[in-house]
Amino acid sequence: MLRLAWANLLHHKIRTALSVLAVAIAITLLLILVGLAHGTLNDVSRRMESVEAQILVRDAYFDLGSLSGGKLWEKEIPRLLEVKLDQQPAVERVMPVFLGRMKLAGQSQNVFGIAPQDFPYFIGSRRLVDGGLFTDADSARELLDRFEQAGTMGDTTSPAYMPLIVDQRLAAAGDLHVGSAARYGDLDARVVGIVQTGVAGRVFAPINTLRAANGVAVQTAHLFFVKAAGRLSTDQLLALCERIEQATARSATLVADYGRIMKGNFRTLILFVDLVSLIALVICFLFILVTIYTSVLERCREIAILQSLGATRRRILLQTVQEALLLCVAGTLLGIGLTFAVRYGIETARPLMTVEIRASWLLGATAVGIGGGILSSLYPGYVALRHDPVEALSFE
Amino acid sequence: MTDIRIQTENLCKTFRNGRLATPVLFDVNLEIRAGEFVAIMGPSGCGKSTLMHILGLMLSASGGRIRLDGRDMSQASPAERARWRRERIGFVFQRFNLLATLSAHDNIALAEQIRRNPPDGQVDRVLAAVGMTDRARYKPGQLSIGQQQRIAIARAVVHRPAILLADEPTGNLDSAHARLILDLFGRIHRQDHPTIVLITHSPEAAGYAERIVELKDGRIHHG
Repeated sequence: MLRLAWANLLHHKIRTALSVLAVAIAITLLLILVGLAHGTLNDVSRRMESVEAQILVRDAYFDLGSLSGGKLWEKEIPRLLEVKLDQQPAVERVMPVFLGRMKLAGQSQNVFGIAPQDFPYFIGSRRLVDGGLFTDADSARELLDRFEQAGTMGDTTSPAYMPLIVDQRLAAAGDLHVGSAARYGDLDARVVGIVQTGVAGRVFAPINTLRAANGVAVQTAHLFFVKAAGRLSTDQLLALCERIEQATARSATLVADYGRIMKGNFRTLILFVDLVSLIALVICFLFILVTIYTSVLERCREIAILQSLGATRRRILLQTVQEALLLCVAGTLLGIGLTFAVRYGIETARPLMTVEIRASWLLGATAVGIGGGILSSLYPGYVALRHDPVEALSFE
Repeated sequence: MTDIRIQTENLCKTFRNGRLATPVLFDVNLEIRAGEFVAIMGPSGCGKSTLMHILGLMLSASGGRIRLDGRDMSQASPAERARWRRERIGFVFQRFNLLATLSAHDNIALAEQIRRNPPDGQVDRVLAAVGMTDRARYKPGQLSIGQQQRIAIARAVVHRPAILLADEPTGNLDSAHARLILDLFGRIHRQDHPTIVLITHSPEAAGYAERIVELKDGRIHHG
């Protein structure tokens, strides 16, 4: 019977090809939409979670989704370092981050202003692949002096510049290399190092320099990454978050929860993506239904022949389902292949976009393809069973 | 086990299309013995094909009874009727009704697959019996109409059915091919002794049968 299904599909090559293509496009659309939405969010989450710290302290009104909001005073750092759990000092290191924004590779990028001595905690096991680490004091001092003397940051003839470290992906997207010039507002900036992809920020600058570039002379930060002393369990880390909130009246969350918080912030977007995916799937399966339905109408005689040979109703229904399944399995496989091709295209054309493809999503798409194939073939199968076999055998 | 293979009692058939009722068969009483070769003759529209489809359990009668091997099939379920068609009945149609997408071999093999019979050489056996071994891989569209009918006959007898029903099997063939096909029916009857019911309006074809039943205006006139 499978051979008959296969033969029927091969007999109508164009119709089969169109049906397979329709399923493939729907599966591709589904995987790319989900992969793009979740991939972008997960990429940001993973990068933030790559920092060697367990807790993120921020102003209660600071929005992690847009990375903007109220600032923290650095004078809170000593207080954070004094927090204890079971009478033991619980905080090993506090790493302030001052955030700025600049345009690089054609897109607005968050600039992570960090202390140079904290840089190893931000890159973890990754390494600088080109250039070197920036120094803070010279450029910051010079910028602050200029700010104080001229009251403006607009003197571009000055040799002063803001040193930047960018990740490899941004470097590839913007054709940046060590020595590349950029602008931070009216200020010159220059790439001094390139780090492997996967670090929290795509762009790093020395914290004091970034503060100065933003006209902030005081020691403030938008975020504090807190590295706990020793290996603490999740419960201990949550207890530490509570202590920190009590000690500073700020919001403290686990870095590991960043992804969940982000997804909560982008709930509407994810809902929209899910809705579009659902519509794409429904259209695809309606197409399959119409294809199989048309093929059933065209093949009343074949179904009658099967009945004359003693095929049961179940067997004839199975025949219809088999054809739909073959279409859907071929379409799903092609769709998965197309998804990888589209991902390659997207990530080549827009290197900063992340299309995530997970094995579980591929399995889900396959299940959707197979399940949809079965569902969309049931009605045509039912129609096939209702045809009068004698009439079908007697007339062309 | 009764000697009567096919028996009908007051068999009636009326086709209905909305309010329109078209009676086709009236009180048909027929007995055909096991291994008998019967021709049913009559003019076009007299109900020959309808009778064959009822005997082959493709159609239900509107009234009366039909018994196969003594078993009353009038109220049999669709599954039971399908099982009988699968195991005990073979059909040969005027228009062959081969599946155009499958080769000659696969058309016959499909019938065996439906019966869940193991592929143990039966297909090759019947292909050889109808002299079509060398055309096994051809699709129906690549065969002459005579060859197509031979394949249709091979498909109908591959499971050695107890009842072989043939509806105008030579109706589309020229006289030379018709004779070949009728000889084939004769040979099958001699070798395997199935009950053969041949629907025809050709006296020459009917001459191959042991008994002729004449049908006129939905009633048996002679037989």
